[in-house]
Amino acid sequence: MNLERLPNEEKLSLCRKYYLVPLAVSGFAFLPFLWLVNVVWFFREAFLKPSYTEQLQIKAYVKRSALGLLLWVAVLTTWITIYQHFRAEWGEVGDYLSFTIPLGIP
Amino acid sequence: MSTLPVVFSAFQTRKMDLLSNKWIINLIFCLFFTGISCNSVENKIYVHLNYSIPCVRLLNATHQIGCQSSLSGDVGVLHVLESEANLDWVLQNGPNPPYMVILDSTLFTRSVMMKLKTGSSRVAGVVVVAPSSNPAEGFSPHTTCPNENSGVYSESYDPALAHCNVTKWNPLGNGLSYEEYDFPMFSLKDDNDTQAIKQCYYDHNHVVNGSSPRYPLCAMQLYSHMSAVTDTATCMRRNGINFSLNPETVCDPLGDFNVLASTRPLNYTDKGHKTGESVVIAAARLDSRSFFFDIAPGAESAASGFVTLLAAAHALRNATQDAQPNRTILYAFFQGETFDYIGSSRLVYDMDNKQFPLDLDNVHSVVEIGQVGLHGESKLWVHTDPVSRRNSSVNEEVEKLIRNLNSSALNLSLSLQEPSFSQPLPPSSFQRFLRARPIPGVVIQNHNSSFTNRYYESMYDNAEYLNMSYPPNLTPEEQLEYVTDAAKALTEVATIVARALYTQAGGSDPIQLKNINADSQMVTQMLYGFLVKSNNSWFQQMVPSDFAIHLRDRPTNFYVGVTQQHSEPTLLVQYLLANLTGTTVNITQDNCQNQREDEDDKESKHIYSYMWVQGAAPPNSTERVAFCVRSTVRLSKALSPAFDLEEYTSKDYSTWTESRWKSIKGRIFLVASHELEMLTLGVGVAVLIASLMLTYIISSKADILFSSGREPTAATY
Repeated sequence: MNLERLPNEEKLSLCRKYYLVPLAVSGFAFLPFLWLVNVVWFFREAFLKPSYTEQLQIKAYVKRSALGLLLWVAVLTTWITIYQHFRAEWGEVGDYLSFTIPLGIP
Repeated sequence: MSTLPVVFSAFQTRKMDLLSNKWIINLIFCLFFTGISCNSVENKIYVHLNYSIPCVRLLNATHQIGCQSSLSGDVGVLHVLESEANLDWVLQNGPNPPYMVILDSTLFTRSVMMKLKTGSSRVAGVVVVAPSSNPAEGFSPHTTCPNENSGVYSESYDPALAHCNVTKWNPLGNGLSYEEYDFPMFSLKDDNDTQAIKQCYYDHNHVVNGSSPRYPLCAMQLYSHMSAVTDTATCMRRNGINFSLNPETVCDPLGDFNVLASTRPLNYTDKGHKTGESVVIAAARLDSRSFFFDIAPGAESAASGFVTLLAAAHALRNATQDAQPNRTILYAFFQGETFDYIGSSRLVYDMDNKQFPLDLDNVHSVVEIGQVGLHGESKLWVHTDPVSRRNSSVNEEVEKLIRNLNSSALNLSLSLQEPSFSQPLPPSSFQRFLRARPIPGVVIQNHNSSFTNRYYESMYDNAEYLNMSYPPNLTPEEQLEYVTDAAKALTEVATIVARALYTQAGGSDPIQLKNINADSQMVTQMLYGFLVKSNNSWFQQMVPSDFAIHLRDRPTNFYVGVTQQHSEPTLLVQYLLANLTGTTVNITQDNCQNQREDEDDKESKHIYSYMWVQGAAPPNSTERVAFCVRSTVRLSKALSPAFDLEEYTSKDYSTWTESRWKSIKGRIFLVASHELEMLTLGVGVAVLIASLMLTYIISSKADILFSSGREPTAATY
């Protein structure tokens, strides 16, 4: 959808929705993507366009989405690194945590 | 310009020509299909290996042994190893690692393999060329102390006798089968294909006067990716995970069936102790192995023993049918003994847990026939267990048994002797019985202390080693009937064993005793069938028709294999034993195959087993006359108790499993240098980028390039 054709209030409500939904159901692993979409989509609106009334709030939502995204990325990266490195040593626990176990290597 | 309307009107006015045009097009299509031929680019590049035997991965409670390749195969530049010093080229000096090393059997030694193992980053794989005759100095890839931790000699039984402290049973053993290799190893026959491979090496890869060979080089790729890893507990756990997205079985336990028969029928529904029943167990081993997968000729390590026992069982048929001696004789052929006594440990476990119609208290004594292939000698050795003989009653029984054996050998050319010093039992199924109870028993072998078998558990333990030599120019039928010296020797052993078993079972009639004689014709036919060709006329007569198609024109493979797959020797021994100890009964095929004598019979199937066998064709016709054989032969499951109890780290029972794999193959091709490959890739990428840029430039300037002249006019005539 082309943001240029929307009135400003609708832009604000969209940005808010994309910010609130992951927060409401936080904990699901793939909702940080909604925050990523928020940041990428509304970046130009929030920081590069000449200012209008709702822009301050849009800026706030974009900043908070970026923060949430960074947090998630940090947590996921740490967990993925630890899991990939230590799964073989964890033996039984590692096997029960895994969806797919590679064949032929520990 | 305005030619389009002209063309259109031309088409409309020439319908007749259109029809003939259509026919011409159809004709061209048909010719196109008939004239096509297929030329595969893959066949021009790769030459596939026809006959290749891999080395596979086996796992037990603590280790994994065998070979592993990477998932997409291992590629290496071929190198034919000339000597052990030539290993420097492979491991240090050669400029094109990794190398695929081709070994002749003389270089397949422990020192070469250990060096290759430590340098495995430069070794892509090893190919061993199997010779056509046995190496003279002997070769045994097994350990020096077979089944060290699963026999009876442990620290608690007698520390002085544990771990082969007294006698190293297999001194030639180099333990190669029990090492772990992280490159694939294949075995090829020494035939034209292998010569072609070596020729490829000499044409492209050979080093001439120190100059390194130039690309393209001859390379080989071997695929033998094994799915299981670490040990049995891990792979059995991964077999059974339900949580994962694609549950896949990665390993299977080794096992098969034991073949059992008794001189008096046993009721198999009545399990547990049988009061008043006293049984003499006559045991032999059915299986063997070698370094490579599914090759186990096992001539002396397995066949010599169980063929003798089969011949003895046949010799005893008449004596035990008419006037039954007091004790029953139980003939037991154990499968899986190579891998920590799978079969015998299972039978002892079943006997101890009321899963078998007899109990260990019912067992009076055990006579086991080990490796008895005689190579011209005339002495057999009777091994006993010194620890159980410290008990005077056991000692008395053992001495009685040895006297029986000696008296059975009178008037025969063989003599039996005990080893002169106190020595533990060699690796034998009897050890598992001793682990449970001190039972009197002996193991008959052809060696005094260490094995005389120079090829124990290797691919060279074949008919050639047993000296089964046939005169030249005999047809297969004549070879089947010809009595070799090896057969004559084994017949003597069988006669001694049969007479001893008769006396041991309480038979006392001296005339019966003298009439117990093994049949050398039968022994030579059995040796031919198991060690030369299993698809012969004698075997064909004695098996049911649905098994007859599985008989092959090559020696029997004695590898025990995984539980799900029936191994050929178990079934062959079952049918042979049924024919040799059973009787022909005159019942219909339907009744026979339903295990009953007539329509109302419900009891016979618990005691007897019935087999409808093919039989022979009478001289004047081609139709086989089939008949029913009734015998007491049973198969009892030979799967290690560790798998039923789910104790995959058990120290008491065998925990051997075999990994599964997806595909095993190999191929040869020429490889180009790495620089050439990178250059080709770079040129391709450059062409791609250039064409993308060209398209972008053209499309952005499209209005300038294509603007001249053509305005669409609606032309009218």
